[in-house]
Amino acid sequence: MITAERKPLSEFKEMIAPYRKVLVVGCGSCVAECAAGGEKEVGLLASALRMDARTEGRDLEIKEMTLDRQCVYEFIDQLTEFIDQYDVVLSLGCGAGVQAVAEVFPRAIIVPALNTTFVGETKEAGLWVENCRGCGDCKLGFFAAVCPITGCAKGLFNGPCGGSQDGKCEVDSDTPCAWQLIITRLEESGRMNLLDKVYPPADWSKQQGRGPRKIVREDQKI
Amino acid sequence: MDQKSAGLKITIFFCQRIDADQDAHRRPLEKELGSQIRFFPLPCSGRIEPLHLLRALESGADKVYVVTCAEGACRYREGNIRAKKRLAYAQGLIEEIGLAKDHLELIHVLAGTTTTIAQLAEELLAREAFVGPLPVDVPGQERQQRQL
Repeated sequence: MITAERKPLSEFKEMIAPYRKVLVVGCGSCVAECAAGGEKEVGLLASALRMDARTEGRDLEIKEMTLDRQCVYEFIDQLTEFIDQYDVVLSLGCGAGVQAVAEVFPRAIIVPALNTTFVGETKEAGLWVENCRGCGDCKLGFFAAVCPITGCAKGLFNGPCGGSQDGKCEVDSDTPCAWQLIITRLEESGRMNLLDKVYPPADWSKQQGRGPRKIVREDQKI
Repeated sequence: MDQKSAGLKITIFFCQRIDADQDAHRRPLEKELGSQIRFFPLPCSGRIEPLHLLRALESGADKVYVVTCAEGACRYREGNIRAKKRLAYAQGLIEEIGLAKDHLELIHVLAGTTTTIAQLAEELLAREAFVGPLPVDVPGQERQQRQL
């Protein structure tokens, strides 16, 4: 899941200030799960913006919409019949959603309301934790499904560093030591032999340095 | 000046477990004060969402109360704690648009009290009007009628 947090209202308020008709568009997928950009958050933000405008004596017309996915054309297409009627789109999608909408409607003005933060999981209600950097070279199979790049503050492939205390990371005492988790799980599943090997550094060219990454699947094309 | 005399519009979200006969108790007050007071009974105060609070303000309420049972006395264990956190979130949001957070307030009913919702509402109406009318024009309502 891609997680995000709402920007301070003042940041995007300034960007939409020149416009009178605002289309507030949420996304019902990842950012709804992390309570940043779903239908509820769209309603909440629209309500705050309307009150703000009335407080300042400004005329503001808002339409609220939440797409099932803001990063897929078939869902973005639902905006086609409305988007020309609005001066600006305030997107509560992740960065991918904002850019996807802008690509479908290149003349529309799209303003992001969220800061996209990380790929992670819902640990408990109200708590989301990063657990994947999207490195493009997944090693979870060797490390008992604990990512040493994301989970270890030092990103060690050949840990532990020796600095953890009581199973917690020395960098942040609230964070479990990833290598403690890796070793415990490998011991419990009888796979400690996986650590006999010395793991080479990651191939970072799979993550960065070549512009936007692409996945091409001919079998999925129509 | 108290909130009733000041003509402040009050909205009260409340846990209906604090008054078993809340429906009958609040009717006379609703008839007397008309649109000056609105009650929203909840199965548990934990049902409240920040969106409810903002919509109440947007619809013309000058002061919104969330009335919960006493801390530690929630039938569903954490409902009133959740209500407190959600109200705090909504307070943060209205502060971002320049409104005083005191337009939203949490009231814990004291443990062991047998106050009806109408008595409680009267007490709230009798409080000093520390916040004025919300400086938000509501479509269809004359601004002059809403000023102190």
